[in-house]
Amino acid sequence: MEYIFTLKYQLPEDAGLDDVVERLGAAGCDDALIGVGLTGRIAMNFSRDADSAKAALFSALEDVKRAVPGAKLIEAAPDFVGLTDVADLVGMSRQNIRKLMVHHAATFPTPVHEGSAAVWHLADMLSWLQLKGAYEIAASVADVAVLTKQINLANAAPMLLPAMQREVQALLA
Amino acid sequence: MTRTAHPNKEIEAALRHAEAKGWRVKVGGSHAWGRIFCPFNSSECRCGEFCITCIWSTPKNAFSHAKAICRVVDHCAEQKQLKLVQSKRAE
Repeated sequence: MEYIFTLKYQLPEDAGLDDVVERLGAAGCDDALIGVGLTGRIAMNFSRDADSAKAALFSALEDVKRAVPGAKLIEAAPDFVGLTDVADLVGMSRQNIRKLMVHHAATFPTPVHEGSAAVWHLADMLSWLQLKGAYEIAASVADVAVLTKQINLANAAPMLLPAMQREVQALLA
Repeated sequence: MTRTAHPNKEIEAALRHAEAKGWRVKVGGSHAWGRIFCPFNSSECRCGEFCITCIWSTPKNAFSHAKAICRVVDHCAEQKQLKLVQSKRAE
């Protein structure tokens, strides 16, 4: 199946952009559209053929690691989403999804961040919508969302101070 | 049109679609056939990375590559804004 996802990286400071793009092409990332519009960064929109979402995402991470060893993953997408993003992905209107949120306030997924804009994990939203039934969600999209969430969590985990880990987790349990 | 055409006809069609929306196509590279540049280049843009997008000369799957190019062009925030303004004017 074809899995569509985006990996965003911070490039090592001394990396030449043309060189990086050529190396990625040689490393098998020629199934990704590469965006280079922001200085020091690349975004790779993969359309990767694989047996599973895990195989697709992991092989892509591996290819990039091999081609550009110092590159630091910023984000795997789609994971952090607003209501509009979810609406676009599922093919419903933003108003419709907002209505669902208001009517099912008790069970609706809790956002990661709430403020001038609210942000959710796409995987949480999709599994909730799937439980509600009536919404057709492509298996490949749902599988990718589960993986991108795990990858982003794993990417952030090293920032957690070991001294804090036990104490804070006990407080949150 | 003075630039060289992309050897793949699906990708060439996607590039023409981009040009029709005001994107600039620049040819050059080896694995990379060239790049496309968003006409707006706005600091407000939310899809910033893809304001400059690399095009492969022989992607793994030309059809998927062409589709991805169209996705970038059509999802451009400025483009959407423009569409909104135009539809409001039409009303």
